[in-house]
Amino acid sequence: MESLDSEDDRARFSTVVLPHLGDAYALARWLTGDRADAEDVVQEACLRAFRGIGGFAGTNARAWLLTIVRHAAYTWLGKNRSASLLLVEDLEAVERQQASGASAFGQDAQTPEAGLIAKADAQRLESAIAELPVPFRETLVLRDVQGLDYREIAEVTKVPIGTVMSRLARARRRLIERVATDEAKGGS
Amino acid sequence: MTPPTTDPRLLVHAYLDGELDPANALDVERQLADDPALAAERERIEVLRRVIAERLPRESAPPGLARRIEATLGLRPAAARTASHPSWRALAASVAVAAFIGSGATWLALSPGPTDADMVVANHMRALMAPQPVDVGSSDRHTVKPWFNGRIPEAPRVVDLASEGFPLVGGRVDVIGRTPVPTLVYRRRQHLISLSEAPASRMAAMPQGQIAGYNIVSWTDSGVTYWAVSDVAAADLSAFEKAFRAAASAER
Repeated sequence: MESLDSEDDRARFSTVVLPHLGDAYALARWLTGDRADAEDVVQEACLRAFRGIGGFAGTNARAWLLTIVRHAAYTWLGKNRSASLLLVEDLEAVERQQASGASAFGQDAQTPEAGLIAKADAQRLESAIAELPVPFRETLVLRDVQGLDYREIAEVTKVPIGTVMSRLARARRRLIERVATDEAKGGS
Repeated sequence: MTPPTTDPRLLVHAYLDGELDPANALDVERQLADDPALAAERERIEVLRRVIAERLPRESAPPGLARRIEATLGLRPAAARTASHPSWRALAASVAVAAFIGSGATWLALSPGPTDADMVVANHMRALMAPQPVDVGSSDRHTVKPWFNGRIPEAPRVVDLASEGFPLVGGRVDVIGRTPVPTLVYRRRQHLISLSEAPASRMAAMPQGQIAGYNIVSWTDSGVTYWAVSDVAAADLSAFEKAFRAAASAER
């Protein structure tokens, strides 16, 4: 009986997890910033996914796998780059203060020409995204790179939809400012 | 979605992401019309989303990663598992590059010709006026899917949504810009829905909208951007999107 179950798990792993390996790897790479590290994270995540495959009852395999990948990446970051994670709560406190001071989206927010943003090339975009603090970065990547909807992002990042919205808005605002500044400074 | 906030600076994002229900979307549209600063922000966000979708290379898992993982877990090597759309993507990428060069690289500068949405709607209208809205007419997806073989590089995903109230009518090949794309046609009562797909690197999804009285929804899933256009109500079209995505992900 045991062998039957594990046979079943293997088949499920192949149909549930493997089709989303590309997305899993992409998220891991955006979170760790490194291809080799991303592979390690994905391997670890797949191991966890395989062990937990019997418990996967949902319909959204991709969101389920990305949740595990994100968790594995956070574990990895905690071991190797704890500084980048410490920021999360502090960061949001600062953002809240700024928002209540009405400056986050207020009058002194930069209003660069959209045309300036249109000039950004892949490299500039990539480095600007990589500089985003992790909670903003993952929200933006899940939405604008991987195309998840808000509900799925809320599920993967374990925050309410309102938080998804504000993180996404702030991530995009930072990118806009960053990219426009770079373009204005560096030209093409 | 009923938004957990009323801040228009946040809602404009949800609006562009197609996350608002029609009433809230209308609200945002009104504010956009009244507030030039907000409208400018909307434009910046749209451009940002667009350059991210079009310029950032899509990451795929390194070759051999799947096999290494399967080996680690003691699964048999899946020899048949290869990248899902290589030829299609390569072709579309080359077409996109050619179009980019050919247009003097100014096409992103906000005074473009017809947008992708315009072309999707035009294709749909043309199909409605033709004697047949499809080139292969069948409610059997196993007839429709193979028909695309040899006509375009990669046959589209065809799912059966009859039980959801969207029976399959057939398929045809449309052209968006200079890219031939597969289009499936589904029916909702007396109305037809055209569903075109293209690699996300070629076409970015746009917020839900209306052109010439036709409702449009688009979304991106696993590197493919889908566009659905129809004269059915926006809510029905959203239901169609939901049904298609669910069926497609169940199949994967």
